[in-house]
Amino acid sequence: MRDEPPAAGVLAIDLLPMTGVDDATAGALLVRLSRRLALPCRLLPRWEPSDLQPVAGRDQLDADRLLQRLEQDQGDDATLRLGVTAHDLGSPLFTFFFGLARHGGRAALVSLARLRPEFYGLPADDDRTLHRAVLEALHELGHVLGLPHCRDARCVMRFSTSVEAIDVRGQRFCDECASRLPEGVLSGASRGTG
Amino acid sequence: MNALAPPKDQLAILVIDDELIVRESLGAWLADDGYRVETAESGAAALRLASSTRYDVAFIDIQMPKMDGLELQKRLLAANPSMTTIVMTAYASVDTAVRALKEGAYDYIVKPFDPDELLHLVERARERCALQSENERLRQTLDAHAEPEELVGDSPAMKKLLEIVRTVGPTDTTVLVHGESGTGKELVARAIHASSPRRYAPLVCVHCGALAEGVLESELFGHEKGAFTGAAYHHKGKFEQADGGTIFLDEIGDISPKVQVELLRVLEEKRVTRVGGKTPIAVDFRVVAATHQDLSELVAQGRFREDLFYRLDVVRVEIPPLRERPGDVPVLARHFLHRLQTSMNKKDMHFSDAALEALAAHDWPGNVRELQNAVERAAVLGHPPELDVDDLPLDVRRAEAAPGAAARSLADVERRHIERVLAETEWNVTRAAAVLDVDRGTLYNKIAKYGLERPEHAR
Repeated sequence: MRDEPPAAGVLAIDLLPMTGVDDATAGALLVRLSRRLALPCRLLPRWEPSDLQPVAGRDQLDADRLLQRLEQDQGDDATLRLGVTAHDLGSPLFTFFFGLARHGGRAALVSLARLRPEFYGLPADDDRTLHRAVLEALHELGHVLGLPHCRDARCVMRFSTSVEAIDVRGQRFCDECASRLPEGVLSGASRGTG
Repeated sequence: MNALAPPKDQLAILVIDDELIVRESLGAWLADDGYRVETAESGAAALRLASSTRYDVAFIDIQMPKMDGLELQKRLLAANPSMTTIVMTAYASVDTAVRALKEGAYDYIVKPFDPDELLHLVERARERCALQSENERLRQTLDAHAEPEELVGDSPAMKKLLEIVRTVGPTDTTVLVHGESGTGKELVARAIHASSPRRYAPLVCVHCGALAEGVLESELFGHEKGAFTGAAYHHKGKFEQADGGTIFLDEIGDISPKVQVELLRVLEEKRVTRVGGKTPIAVDFRVVAATHQDLSELVAQGRFREDLFYRLDVVRVEIPPLRERPGDVPVLARHFLHRLQTSMNKKDMHFSDAALEALAAHDWPGNVRELQNAVERAAVLGHPPELDVDDLPLDVRRAEAAPGAAARSLADVERRHIERVLAETEWNVTRAAAVLDVDRGTLYNKIAKYGLERPEHAR
């Protein structure tokens, strides 16, 4: 049974744009995320490791390996790394991921691929994609900081296995989840579902 | 989600796969969703864990070295039959997954997992666990009531009867219950069923004496659509309804020779053919039969088949009439009154000593049923909390007025005899008139003359 302590002493979030994420998208994402977090958010140079592993037989990056790599590259214990890729993520065991993180880890991944309306044959909508990406980033960062999924449908930690579910679930941390996060992580804009 | 479903953190899940990536990835996924998860890298490791922890759900990889998933599932289910097992398989081994389903797996999931499919599968497994817990709780409640509490009495005869019921109950032996009308033959059948391994399956009661030959055939064996006029739909017979459980054939001595033949065949072959049907249907049942008649006498008279008699008379349970165990009367009276007290929401009701003496002095031709009715009448119409002789039925009071004496006048004898026959035939006036060898009109006149009243249970 997993019972790892959440990351403590986090001072900043480092956002690392990856393949296919242009500067404008990365910048807009940074601004939106900054509004939702009390921690400083920094945009780091593009992260493009040369040895990215695809999932065999699928046009996807192996999210497990990518996350592992992102954590290995971690230099500063006081920062959490948020890798954002335009590539679709999967693994040998799961057909896809919107994002991935490890409890008590130091990094999280978000893929824009399945957050884009175009993926489902709908007209492009960058604003909607960014909105979903922020929610997914908050969700994965919540895992890094020790939160499991939440039963409260209004909480951003509610488990979502479809993009519709991401759209439907809440945009903030419920009181219980917020109270379990370290002090000074969330801004007022991310607290409370009531 | 089922409201009964346990919180996720109370559900223990074991993930068994020889691949580390699967254990870590699925384990983390389930833990993120709030479940208690442990992982094992082999069948042997899983069995070790399961020997000390009770897991609700197991995700088992089909293809593992040494002990494969099917073998592991078999061993896990043998140790914990209520465990929900889900097998994980690749497309290439779906056939094996289907085999796993046949061997008790709840479901299977193909790698790689679609997160949405996995989410719903785990939710369904959680609901199943909730239902199994509820089922377990209900079974425990049933077990608590399995004691034959309605068979009340301190007399040696009743103690012997209870001992037989407890001994024969857990077996699959056919039982023939013999006793006068109202002695509680159905209660004995219920107690036998309740103490048997079949208790979670139905107990189906058939009152053979109350049904005409054709109706009884259809009731017992069922019928196909169009088998006879009015058979608009196919109908499952009582034997089919009792599949896995017990069938109670009351008043078995009343069935016609034709039905006796058919019944014998069903008992011997354990297969029924519906009326108008051609295909025999296999059924698994235990038989408890009952009669107030002397079946061996009926055999001697040629009215009951000898082979059927011996098929039924494997273990015989005799229920003594109440007049032969007067010491049980106060015990039973208090038992019925206590039960009524609860259902009527009254307190402290009890019989006076004189009332108990009057009850014990009566010879109870209608046996326990008559006593039960007398107690109910006293509780409803009497003057609680203490119920006295005046609160008892007239014939009980008469017995008390002349303790130990039989009815004296010719009219008294006639009244008592008619009462007894009516009780024995459960107030079937046609049958009672036949027994008394008078026409129905005469019997109705006598009933009116003596002010006899049909008891509640016979209405």
